[in-house]
Amino acid sequence: MPTVSTRRVVITGMGAISPLGVGAAALWQGLREGRSAIGPLRHVDAGRLRVKVAAQVPESFDPAAHIDERTLPLLDRTSEFALHAAREAVAQSGVDFAGNGLGQRTAVIVGTGVGGETTQDEQSRRLYAENAPRAHPLTIVRLMTNASASQISIAYGLHGPTYAVASACASANHAIIQAAQMIRYGMADAAVTGGTEACLTYGALRAWEAMRVLADDTCRPFSVNRRGLVLGEGTGIFVLESLEHARARGATILAELAGTGMSADASDIVMPSAEGAAAAMQQALQEAELNPGDVDYINAHGTGTQANDVTETRAIRLAFGAHADRLAVSSTKSMHGHALGASGALELVAAIGALRDNVVPPTANLDKADPACDLDYVPNTAREMPVRAVLSNSFAFGGLNAVLALKRAP
Amino acid sequence: MTATIQQQLFEIIAKQAKIDVATIRPESTLKDLGIASLEAIEMIFDIEEHFNINFPDQQGANFDTDTAQSLVDAVQKALDDKAAAGEGSK
Repeated sequence: MPTVSTRRVVITGMGAISPLGVGAAALWQGLREGRSAIGPLRHVDAGRLRVKVAAQVPESFDPAAHIDERTLPLLDRTSEFALHAAREAVAQSGVDFAGNGLGQRTAVIVGTGVGGETTQDEQSRRLYAENAPRAHPLTIVRLMTNASASQISIAYGLHGPTYAVASACASANHAIIQAAQMIRYGMADAAVTGGTEACLTYGALRAWEAMRVLADDTCRPFSVNRRGLVLGEGTGIFVLESLEHARARGATILAELAGTGMSADASDIVMPSAEGAAAAMQQALQEAELNPGDVDYINAHGTGTQANDVTETRAIRLAFGAHADRLAVSSTKSMHGHALGASGALELVAAIGALRDNVVPPTANLDKADPACDLDYVPNTAREMPVRAVLSNSFAFGGLNAVLALKRAP
Repeated sequence: MTATIQQQLFEIIAKQAKIDVATIRPESTLKDLGIASLEAIEMIFDIEEHFNINFPDQQGANFDTDTAQSLVDAVQKALDDKAAAGEGSK
């Protein structure tokens, strides 16, 4: 088999919009403080819905304050978030896409579970409920799932491979992995990547209600009294580069994206498999050349459903053996909620924060661990401890697993 | 003659489980009847639609251990609650 030369991949910029506020710093600060952004659902139809709580981007986020008025009409809420977070990430990285033809060698890969759901819901309401004779002419450009990736490519003149990745709740991690592999194997020198989701519409909320996986109080991952997941929304966008490219321009490196793992359970459409999740974790360790004992923290998928938390615990034991008992494991979904196709991106902000500050964010609302969940979940209060390497897990309906392995900046 | 709640409910269960309605006993659990989690959610939906009721969320409960009788009781309670509230299901 021919040997393939590979390159190391680093992260040099991050941006986020989350229920904890605008900006990656607001998200990380909130998580460090163990602050939950879960609250009563704000929705025009809240009175009719059974969903009582959600983690929503603060009402103070005003897209018009951040995005020019000619672009704004083209955007669904998912793309408003994504464009704004991309600006933060690009600014932090200090990268110049116009110089040296870098824009020609930059990919844009953005994950989203359902894309422009707000647009879809609004237009359906017009057509079916109000009997409107026509849809808004910008409906398609707003709702297409690649809209966020395309808008970022247009905003920064990025001509490399650009598209959306969809794998439900693993979309962001799959997108970030795809972007990293492009750099690793020389198809691009840089990438703008992450995940975005904003689908708290009447229709989507009704659909989630019917699945009976939503908590009615709050998200309590790994706790014996957990009652399900809490829906969220938001965006995390990152600038990835090859290590050599980042070093050549003297960039500040936030972390190394050292390994990735992907697998499919190939069993049930919703019930997770410990073996499938463990396989993805093991692949990520292997690609990163990490032994289980090198990892200090896992940002868990940790949805707070009955099935996930027990299965993920078993998967971590399968992948880490005896070292599982020395790992810090936390679910930050207890604070930022489950942003579905964006969740891996919000959690990557947490993983990078843990590596840079040597602080593990807690699992909030963990009253009493489920006996079937027997790892150290860092309950309720952040922990200062050396963090050398981190895994970030995302698992999706459909039996899809995507795991990131991160190391400190080299 | 109107079918009893139990008769109507057992018909729905039988349809979901693709079994003869006569094989369902009040003490049968959904697991006994071969109804897995996602099918149970679908069946709950069918029951809600048929009786025009809303079951409370059952996160934390285990559908596998629910018996046919417990579903009959739950339907009866939901119908009673609806009658007491004097309004249709929202």
